[in-house]
Amino acid sequence: MHEFALVRSLLSQVAQIVEADGGGSVQEIRVRCGPLAGVEPTLMREAFALLRRDSAFVEAELVIREEPLRARCRRCDQTFEPQRFRFRCPHCGSVDTITESGDAVMIESVVVGG
Amino acid sequence: MTSNETRVITIERDVTATARMDAARFRETMTARGTLVVNLLSSPGSGKTTLLAETARFWGDQIRCGVLVGDIATDRDAQRLAPWLPAIQLTTGGACHLSLALVQQGWQQWEELPLDILFIENVGNLVCPSSHDLGEHVRVVLLATTEGDDKPAKYPKAFRTSDGLLITKTDLLPYLPFDVDVAAQDAREIRPDIEVIALSALQGQGLAQWCQFLQEQRRRHVGRRPANESADSTVNR
Repeated sequence: MHEFALVRSLLSQVAQIVEADGGGSVQEIRVRCGPLAGVEPTLMREAFALLRRDSAFVEAELVIREEPLRARCRRCDQTFEPQRFRFRCPHCGSVDTITESGDAVMIESVVVGG
Repeated sequence: MTSNETRVITIERDVTATARMDAARFRETMTARGTLVVNLLSSPGSGKTTLLAETARFWGDQIRCGVLVGDIATDRDAQRLAPWLPAIQLTTGGACHLSLALVQQGWQQWEELPLDILFIENVGNLVCPSSHDLGEHVRVVLLATTEGDDKPAKYPKAFRTSDGLLITKTDLLPYLPFDVDVAAQDAREIRPDIEVIALSALQGQGLAQWCQFLQEQRRRHVGRRPANESADSTVNR
């Protein structure tokens, strides 16, 4: 249920970026998130629908792309998609692995009209 | 005909990037002060407050601890903790997690207080708090035996982002279908280097191990011995 705070932060960051880029009306905000991002896309969309009313983004659409969880093994250097959040390397069995993607909400891009 | 004026701004940035930088700055400040910051995460009723009271009692005046305690409403926890250690209640007014801003607000009241360890008792919730860096050096998740040993896989982010797992209320094990090894193994599949400690704060088993873990973490992250700690670092009750 922290999607509200997250979307609020997203909107203020986008506002700053667009202003620094010369301004304009935001038509689309594209983000991607994975299974360990700690957000529910449905709740993000609901929060966005409410919050955009009081922002400069009344016209904007939020596009959420879901990405899989990806990890890399530090022993054999192979990447894999952890199943059921098991981070043991399926190639060599090592537990020395790091998350590469799927654990964050990434702001990809913004489409701005003139 | 405005379509030719449409442009795409590529950003590629983690939405929490700024918040993470703020948290890193707070962490550096606390490192420079010699204070280890420990963020405690768990479901409501897993024993965070009892653990903190017993940890402070265990150390007495040997290690100086303070706690910022988060709840949605009431100052009951701060009142409960006050006899044992300095406590400031942070009420979120409905929010499901503590924010760095709220933590810093609370901490401002203490800037002059020398502390070896600052605990942050997060709002009871295994979901949202795991997404928020509060500037802690160490994150510890509590799992009470009453909650069931299947929780790590159900709430992976809380376990993936934690450095320590405390299995609490082990005094109730004789009455519950909870397998400590199953829970520990489950957590280690998600976070292989997680330190697992089983304890009963009420009866004292495991408390010495927990306190030793905190002192090791303090040396690792803050790099100093607590001012009041004797040269021989063995802790006696």
